Amino acid sequence: MIFPQENSLDNWLDANANPEIDKFLERNLAITEKVNAVLKQRGIKKGEFAKMLGKKPSEITKWLTGLHNLTLKSITKMEVALNIDLLNLEPAYIYLGSVPGGSKDLPNAIVKYEDTYYSNAV
Amino acid sequence: MNTFAVIKPLFKYKKIAYYSVCLNNDEHTIYDAFVKTQTALNKNKLYHILKWLQLLGQKYGAQNRFFRNEAKFSDTSALPPIGKDRKPHYVEHGKNKDNNLRLYCFRANENVVFLYSGGLKTTQKAQNCPNVKEHFILANQLTKAIDEAFKNKDITWNENCTLINCEDNFKLYYK
Repeated sequence: MIFPQENSLDNWLDANANPEIDKFLERNLAITEKVNAVLKQRGIKKGEFAKMLGKKPSEITKWLTGLHNLTLKSITKMEVALNIDLLNLEPAYIYLGSVPGGSKDLPNAIVKYEDTYYSNAV
Repeated sequence: MNTFAVIKPLFKYKKIAYYSVCLNNDEHTIYDAFVKTQTALNKNKLYHILKWLQLLGQKYGAQNRFFRNEAKFSDTSALPPIGKDRKPHYVEHGKNKDNNLRLYCFRANENVVFLYSGGLKTTQKAQNCPNVKEHFILANQLTKAIDEAFKNKDITWNENCTLINCEDNFKLYYK
């Protein structure tokens, strides 16, 4: 089965761009993903994390499943407890290594670069 | 009455390939019809869902926790995820609001998602909502038929289960 050459979803989003929603969704997803990944990588159970934050486990479960509207205060609490940065998640640079075709192949290399997951990076 | 659907690839990202279906001999998919209708009626709510689809496709994959369970007699899901305070929030006038626009779908695995149709849900149960009842039932029927087609090997996976294959003229009968 062949996919259409034009991506109709990208086209629709470009035509109706809403940068505020874009940024909001990207940040929310990135914060939740990073906290989950760090906890998993360090083997910290949610109950233990709750103790670190001085909160009830049920409250932390809400935070981590996204059922809670995280405030700047709660984000900072998690940052301090885990010694991580949650507000500056996006890397300034992405190292693409050697791009065989030089600058001509750069767009392709950007699409195809391998992710380094947070769990590997911390 | 038996009716049929034909599977159409929609768009593909690094982490997810999205598919939909055309009903009977319709040229357009039910997802395309949904987008067209909701662009006119609920553009911001639609944007919220479509951006979510794009981000999952680009970065995160179709993890179960990102979908709302809408199974009645098959493994149907919907977007956005459950709860108005669950991320990603839909924000209206600076406050978290429940995005009651539903796009029914079938998460076949973390790499393949079928997008169906939907509408503005106005009651607690989809079955009782005049706007989404039809879409909800259709989604469950289609999911059941797709699931059967996987079992019968009418639809097959590629080697690493990131794409599906079926005959071009394969008709998915549902009722």
